[in-house]
Amino acid sequence: MSRTKLYTAIYVVLFVLATAQAVVEQAGYLEESYWLAFWAIMVLSAVKAVVVAGWYQHLRWEPRSLTTLMLLGLLGAVALTVAASYSIL
Amino acid sequence: MTDDEHETTADPTGDEPAVSDGGTASDGGSIVDDDFPADGVPDTPHGDDHGLPPTHSIRRWFVTTNHKDIGLLYTVTALFFLIFGGLLALLMRLELWAPGADFLAAGSYNQAVSAHGLIMVFWFLSPLAFGFANYVVPLQIGAKDLAFPRLNALSYWLYLFSGILMGISFFQGSTFNGGWTMYAPLNMPVYTPDIGGTTTVLALILFVASATVGSVNFLTTMHRMRAEGMTLRRMPIFTWSILLTVWMMLFAFAALLAALMLLSSDRLIGTAYFAESSPGGAMLWAHLFWFFGHPEVYIVFFPALGAMAEIFQTFTGRRLVGRKWFIGAMLLVAIQSFVVWMHHMFLTSINLEIKTLFMATTIGISLPFDLMVFSLIYTMLKGKIRFKTPFLFGFGALVLFILGGITGVFLGAVVLDYTLRGTYWVVAHFHYVMVGGVTGLVGGLYYWFPKMTGRMYDETLGKVHFGMYFVGFNLLYFPMFLAWETPRRVFEYAPALTGWHQLSTVGAFLLGSSFLVMFYNLFKSAFVGEQVEGQPWDFASTAEWTVPSPPPLENFPGVPTYASGRLEFEDGGSAQTDGGAVHGKAAALPGSEVTETEHGGGESHASIWPFVLGAGAFLVLLGLSGLQRGYFPEGTMGGVHIGTAIVGGVLAFGSLVAMTREKFHGPEGPFGESWPFTTVENTKLGLWIFLASDVILFGAFIGAYVFSRVAHGWTDWHHLIPEAHVVLPGLINTYLLLTSSFAVVIAMEFAKRENRLGVVGSLVATVGLGVGFLINKGIEWQHLFHIHTEAFPAGWDPGTNIASTTFYVTTGLHALHVIVGLVIAGYMIFRAWGGAYMGDDEPIEYFGLYWHFVDIVWLFLFPLFYIV
Ligand code: HEM
Ligand SMILES: [Cu+2]
Repeated sequence: MSRTKLYTAIYVVLFVLATAQAVVEQAGYLEESYWLAFWAIMVLSAVKAVVVAGWYQHLRWEPRSLTTLMLLGLLGAVALTVAASYSIL
Repeated sequence: MTDDEHETTADPTGDEPAVSDGGTASDGGSIVDDDFPADGVPDTPHGDDHGLPPTHSIRRWFVTTNHKDIGLLYTVTALFFLIFGGLLALLMRLELWAPGADFLAAGSYNQAVSAHGLIMVFWFLSPLAFGFANYVVPLQIGAKDLAFPRLNALSYWLYLFSGILMGISFFQGSTFNGGWTMYAPLNMPVYTPDIGGTTTVLALILFVASATVGSVNFLTTMHRMRAEGMTLRRMPIFTWSILLTVWMMLFAFAALLAALMLLSSDRLIGTAYFAESSPGGAMLWAHLFWFFGHPEVYIVFFPALGAMAEIFQTFTGRRLVGRKWFIGAMLLVAIQSFVVWMHHMFLTSINLEIKTLFMATTIGISLPFDLMVFSLIYTMLKGKIRFKTPFLFGFGALVLFILGGITGVFLGAVVLDYTLRGTYWVVAHFHYVMVGGVTGLVGGLYYWFPKMTGRMYDETLGKVHFGMYFVGFNLLYFPMFLAWETPRRVFEYAPALTGWHQLSTVGAFLLGSSFLVMFYNLFKSAFVGEQVEGQPWDFASTAEWTVPSPPPLENFPGVPTYASGRLEFEDGGSAQTDGGAVHGKAAALPGSEVTETEHGGGESHASIWPFVLGAGAFLVLLGLSGLQRGYFPEGTMGGVHIGTAIVGGVLAFGSLVAMTREKFHGPEGPFGESWPFTTVENTKLGLWIFLASDVILFGAFIGAYVFSRVAHGWTDWHHLIPEAHVVLPGLINTYLLLTSSFAVVIAMEFAKRENRLGVVGSLVATVGLGVGFLINKGIEWQHLFHIHTEAFPAGWDPGTNIASTTFYVTTGLHALHVIVGLVIAGYMIFRAWGGAYMGDDEPIEYFGLYWHFVDIVWLFLFPLFYIV
């Protein structure tokens, strides 16, 4: 039963974080200080992703090798995006 | 390197027959019966034949899922594509006999150049290597088959059908004619309008699907299903090369898939990723393609390297000198291969800093190669060489590779590349390395031929082949270095270079005819060659040589184990004849042997569905190839295209359903060594590995968005987007998806508590919320399509500008994932209603892994496309 409670609590947190992202926009922070607001919003997304992967996908309870596998994929995608974007700056 | 002696695999000393117990090679025909309880299979048609028809029956080859059969299919099909690509090359060489288009029409020459490159790289080189990998890897690691035998068959059929699709493209106007690198904007319909060009792209997509399925399968197998004692450190060098190859494939091909899907979207729907109007469109293609393309050159080369190393060991009677270092160097190269791609872009507008950086990484990647080359050379020096055909080819490959590698270093220097780029220097370089790789694989073909057929090839003819091949090769490609000023992919060149080109053409025909000798030799020997036992080479020490040639379907006469440091077969025989528990080592590994026994007892390993699924996918893409700017052609042709796609869709869907309903058990493992995924069950691991490639796919889509936005000017982007594009629909969809993720988690909990209605209810909620997501998106899209504002008088559709393109296509790919998830979930509701999953939440968990992943992707799409 406590598992179900935990999952419900996590759901509430995710809901709130998503709302927070929209609030940042609605409150006009993007106009005020674009990059600060931008990174705040992206960090919120990252937190949500970690929570979903860690708890809903149970990566917390799996061998670290699975997490590493996914991080490798992520690293590849980020390397491609960052290096390509930098190359035309 | 004395410690290398301990890392041997089957037989450290190498010169004794490797099977020291567990039966001799020649009685392999009967020992396979060990796996079947005597009273479990009263004269069913499935004895030791796994329900497969005999090999001389055509039907066998359509329904087989056995790794050795599929290895043969891959090998033979790949050789067919060698002929296809080779004939195109001979046409080109005839054209180049003299400057100017005097033999082929200009357009035909362009088609020949492009198709030759694509066919050789994709449909010949890698699949030939995968023929060997399929055949040899399970044997080398001590597995009975791959983890997912039907997926393995599926890989093959997708591969074959993708090749047929490629062939068909020649008859739809023209095949793609913008070069194998498919650079933008030449790859856009404005420049390459023929339907055949689109079909080529779709054929590549099908090929990538095949490669991805294959990578997942091989990775799961090689990590999870190694025999006891077969640690990664002890793994034979060929298997190591394949392991690293499939890791690279998993990630690199996902990037190619992204590139091809974006290109298909441009060609089929009329979006603007690579259009000239899109800032950075041409650069975007180059980045995506070469992020894949450089790892790809190692993907095609590594298996050859592995084969060469095996051959060197066998024919020098020496362990590879510095084996550990050799493996380390390969590992390093595999990683580095993902950070050198911009050396293909030195002449584009990338900035000088990044050029310098990539020049450095390129120099860095050539260092581990030096180590491997020296290791091979020392192995030769320290051993006693026997000049059999496989060795000649292996050695030839080394020589060619050294030349190719050195000339590559020239290209890696930015300043030299300014001059050499786009010339025959590049052509000569990569043919030396790539066809050098082919040379190694041809060595592998001779090396494993007796294993695959049970008969020996003719040694004299083999040597004749090598002589003609090596002379022909150098006559063909070396003059290209001398005539380097010839512009690449063009039939015009300075008349002064004519002599070199004529030499080249002569060499091409010599090289081509050398293969006639090979085909004659191998074809004849396959039927009348001298019969061989398990081990035709002295000193071959890997496990495939310890079993008969060709090996029985079950591969081994017992449970293979390397626990003692050399290969032994745990004798399960006496234990299994009474159908009872398995003793000895195998008893320590419950779950493996028991499943095997169970499935062996009468379950069929034949399945027609992989073939049907392949055919269905083929028809879908053939049908879709007619789409242009979102419309099928008018008139009958349009009807034919649509009809083909529908028939294909029905076939594909039907065979998927049939596959899930068919009773089929692959070998499961673990069998002893499963690092680092010991506790992750096969299907789950396969799913995670697939998701990792999906991360790259989505990552590349998102990367394309970020890149295009940077090219445009990040903060000016909103000028491209109508005011009506607001946060709210995105936020609502975020809520919907989060809730449906939660519903899946609850479904799992209900399944654990065996509450049927609870499971059904939460799955229905999952689907309902997912459908709501799609409806909400549909309403939003409809609205945006039809807005009329000053800035967007004709609406905001996928082709309007690069912002609309990235928005619709990226979120569209995500929507497709949602739809797939909904179909699966719908099927699960149906099953759950019938009482499935009670106390068995695994299927729901696995579905959840996928569904949560789709959720996570949306968590990033939402801010990127709706907020910032
Ligand atoms: C010592 C290692 C190597 C180095 C430093 C190197 C470097 C390079 C560079 C800088 C280019 C770009 C040339 C240009 O377009 O201007 C290139 C092209 C190419 N290389 Fe290599 N290379 C190496 C090994 C290999 C290997 C092992 C293969 C394949 C087995 C390979 C296959 C190719 C191919 C196919 C191209 C041409 C791509 C195209 O169509 O434009 N290279 N190489
Ligand atoms: Cu490269």
